[in-house]
Amino acid sequence: MIDFHTHPLLVEEMIARYPDLARIARDVFYIRNRAQPLETFLLELDVAGLERAVLLPIDTTRTRGCQIYSNEQIAELCRMCDRFIGFASVDPYRPDAPEVLARAVGDLGLRGLKLAPGIQEFYPDDRRFFPLYEKAAELGVPILFHAGMTWEPGAQAKYGHPSRFEDIAHDLPQLNVVLAHLAWPWVLEAAALAAKYPNLCLDTSALYFDNPRDFVRFAMAEQVPLTLWERSLRKQLLFGSNYPRVEVKNMAWAVRALGLSDDCQRLVFADNARRLLGEEQVA
Amino acid sequence: MIKLTKLTVQTRRSQELVDVTDEVERVVAESGVGEGLVYVMTSHTSSGVLVTEGLECLERDVVAHLERLAPDQGDYWHNRYLDIDGRLGFNAGAHLKGVISGYFAYFPISGGKIVKGGRQRVYFAEYDGPLSREYYVQVIGE
Repeated sequence: MIDFHTHPLLVEEMIARYPDLARIARDVFYIRNRAQPLETFLLELDVAGLERAVLLPIDTTRTRGCQIYSNEQIAELCRMCDRFIGFASVDPYRPDAPEVLARAVGDLGLRGLKLAPGIQEFYPDDRRFFPLYEKAAELGVPILFHAGMTWEPGAQAKYGHPSRFEDIAHDLPQLNVVLAHLAWPWVLEAAALAAKYPNLCLDTSALYFDNPRDFVRFAMAEQVPLTLWERSLRKQLLFGSNYPRVEVKNMAWAVRALGLSDDCQRLVFADNARRLLGEEQVA
Repeated sequence: MIKLTKLTVQTRRSQELVDVTDEVERVVAESGVGEGLVYVMTSHTSSGVLVTEGLECLERDVVAHLERLAPDQGDYWHNRYLDIDGRLGFNAGAHLKGVISGYFAYFPISGGKIVKGGRQRVYFAEYDGPLSREYYVQVIGE
């Protein structure tokens, strides 16, 4: 069982080594909770019944003058615990962005690419960035895009509208693309893309009002019918929590409370993630 | 003398009672106070400090009853985005459990030891774990 969407922003051990991470968490990513020892992160996974978590950085060097974890820091944290799966991030405007990604995968052992169009301020369907996407496809790693609304200050939702991802899914069918947060509020639009493009997945890490149980039910069973996930998109939905904006346990309980069948939940919590990570082929 | 000691506890479950009696007694003993009083206080509003009999069954009953009184998944005003945290609240159930159980416990000290019933134990009550938590023990006396 895998949480496909976490940000290790409040890990005390990393803040002790890199004190500026505390400021970045507080003022750039905008999460104000108290830092916790690494053990708390692992206990969060335990309580949620999950084994592993994908760790996501965001390269905001150009737009914020810092990185919300560097690729090297993600790799360092992954070396501290084998329950972590590290992704890379890169500023897509960098002329050498494809090479940076190749080094992160080849040298650091990172296993995917995280891009956040809102805070990185780029339109994902801009053709200038396709060499980066093609490199991800060549390397066989998925790209997880932030999609929809974001809480980060100054980061605008317009960069993450689902329509901005259709060219990528269409032109690069061999690339696995994940739209995070159900692309909320554009769940229906994101689901429409996923229904058409089998290489486009969504993750569940959406929480914008109420509590996880009520919000997830609203987004996944009222904005669209629950049968959509059960019947049509069962192989294109990934469990993600967005920890620490929400506890892993709370999102896991919320998704389990939807009433999806056991085999669908198995896909959502494990098999789909493993397939994207190249660990297992799902029939 | 007045001595304030900060302690930490790593909770391991979403809700649980952690027996901290031995830690409190150690702080009292190390303070050297013979006659006085001791307060135990949590500094987190989604946790509590309480006293009950040291039985596992009772610990489970306390947690279960507080969950009935203030369920985690209730319909609360707190279920909204909190700008001060950069995230949603939605843990009013934990805060309400903290209000019900209280945030501190008090005991007299006599002869250098805590005065308490033979079955009384002091608990750090976690209502929103797992988390690394801080609590304070203040010893006052001479």
